[in-house]
Amino acid sequence: MIELNPLVELIILNFSLGLMVAISLNIEVGFLRIPQFGRLLAVIAGAIVAAAIPGRILALYLGMPAGIEYANHMYNFRIVFEINRFLSKNPLLSITLFLSTMVMAAIVGGVIGYLCAYPALRLKGAYLGITLLTFGEIITSIAWNYQPLVGGTTGVFVVNPFGFVGRGSSSLAVISILVISIVSYVYAELLIRSPFGRMLKAIRDSEVAAEVYGKNAVKARAETLVIGGAMAAVAGALWAIYTGSMKASTYTRLTWTFWPWAFMMLGGVGNNLGVLVGVLLYTLARTAIIQYKHLLTSVIPISAEWLEYILIGIVIVAVILYKPQGLIPEKPALTLSRKTIEKIKDKIDTSTKNYQQTT
Amino acid sequence: MLIDSMLIVKAIVYSISIALGATGVTIIYNATKTFNFAHSSMVGWGVYVVFAFFFLFKGLPQIYFPIAFIFSGLLGVATYFTVNRRLIMAKASDINLMMSTLGVDLILFAFLNIFADYLLYAHKISIAKNFVLETWDPYLSIFGVSVRLTWVIAPIVFVMIFLFIHFMFSKTRIGVAMRATIENPALAQIQGINPDVVYLTSWFLGGGLAGLSGGILAMTFTGRPSIGMEVVVTFFAGAIVGGLETVYGGFLGGFLVGLSEYILPAMLAPTVGSWINSYKMIIPLSIMVITLLIRPSGLGIMIKRRVRI
Repeated sequence: MIELNPLVELIILNFSLGLMVAISLNIEVGFLRIPQFGRLLAVIAGAIVAAAIPGRILALYLGMPAGIEYANHMYNFRIVFEINRFLSKNPLLSITLFLSTMVMAAIVGGVIGYLCAYPALRLKGAYLGITLLTFGEIITSIAWNYQPLVGGTTGVFVVNPFGFVGRGSSSLAVISILVISIVSYVYAELLIRSPFGRMLKAIRDSEVAAEVYGKNAVKARAETLVIGGAMAAVAGALWAIYTGSMKASTYTRLTWTFWPWAFMMLGGVGNNLGVLVGVLLYTLARTAIIQYKHLLTSVIPISAEWLEYILIGIVIVAVILYKPQGLIPEKPALTLSRKTIEKIKDKIDTSTKNYQQTT
Repeated sequence: MLIDSMLIVKAIVYSISIALGATGVTIIYNATKTFNFAHSSMVGWGVYVVFAFFFLFKGLPQIYFPIAFIFSGLLGVATYFTVNRRLIMAKASDINLMMSTLGVDLILFAFLNIFADYLLYAHKISIAKNFVLETWDPYLSIFGVSVRLTWVIAPIVFVMIFLFIHFMFSKTRIGVAMRATIENPALAQIQGINPDVVYLTSWFLGGGLAGLSGGILAMTFTGRPSIGMEVVVTFFAGAIVGGLETVYGGFLGGFLVGLSEYILPAMLAPTVGSWINSYKMIIPLSIMVITLLIRPSGLGIMIKRRVRI
């Protein structure tokens, strides 16, 4: 199996996960203006699914303790070690397990999105934003304190479904993450070009006008939250699988809510391509900071971590002040490709010409 | 049902801190329609101003509360002049207003950490990133009961601030001008009220209250650079539960959230078991969510009807 350069691997990983979360935000914020400050909620739910369910299923199958003992740090590493050894001999089972984990995470994320729809209907603006943010804090607190779920403060190890390739399993994981994130990007792009996507934009721009034309804004909002939640949950599950462990304290609202917001605002709210560019630029800048940390700290006596915070803070403020639409502003989505539209136009032109000539 | 009296006192001090901070959020939101995410770092700076002044100039930690107020207030003023003013003039959407303060928050948070590093390395204060100022809080003897100074000072500060804000909004010209601008900015401008002054005052007051609540928080909690980030959700919950529409809502919501976080787990623990103490942060947040789902614009709307502010 090919092995990627660790640096390349890091860039691809950060880019893919950032893209997935930012795109899921973009579907909710960019297309429907839901102030989704609770992205962390779906992400951590996905991570909990990846950490709690597949390991337990296999533990049951292999006749090992799968109940409360599974999340106990005394047993957990041994159980997961055994499972990983078993999985490394069963490529087919590993792949099935990986895919079914993704499906489970998406379902749980979707259910969470659906549950968020009720507050999203009743509350407006800052009230909704802070309520969603609070949901994220509540679930983090539960995952952190409720030991039987995912080990509480000690965390649990996550089953590695890529062990069957031996060396380079993390490269395979990163490539799968990249593929899944590209799939979700394409999905979001198709979504916005579909009638559903146009309906979302119509509701965003004028809810009353959209309702006059018989569009159900309530249903659209719930469906959007389900889609966004499912996508974010898959990202969370992927991150848990890649890191091989799940600890609630590593999921903070800063990394999983606010930074994706920053990527999205940098690239352009409502424009998937813009979001992609924003995530890419930021990932490269961040990797560069980490890479040249020693060089930087010798010039300015600041820890590189804080430099990163300052950088992202300045980017957010500058984008909102000077380029509120982002680097690539939102454009009207073309439902057909430009070529097709031009072909149709040519056809119409020639036919009108023929018509004029004949008359 | 017996609840430790110490616990009640601590709950009150904590609630005062939350109430002041939540009022800061409310004042800024009321005047400028900006939900201030930078509050967390302003609280953090309040904590660190008290800590740094106490360690560099000695004395009692409490005498540096006014400096914390002024410092965080100036942070608010700086935020207004650099970011918020232009956005208000450009009529930015409320999501953009919120996000811009998030950017400010990250910058202020980074500088707070750099400041903590500076204290640690340049001034050789080994506890600069993890300190308990409570140990330097002297005991007073009142009617033979020994109490900590903060337990006396915090309620006094709270009453002073409450009266100050009440009189400011009901009696002074600037307070009335602020109310007018909150109600209808265009009409207020026609009457010759300069909205700039109103926005500036609200940012100074809001930031200052954040700093002050940070100062009080420093006396009860373990201080570290991330303290603001950890408690800020509770501040937001207090502000939202009270309702962002009225300034008194912040006081009300702060007390509701602060007291429920301390007293409810203590009351429930004997019946349901001590596991509930781990989840004490969830209780105020759940109260907030339930309140909002029943009454989408917070509890403050009920006060508003009676007091007309």
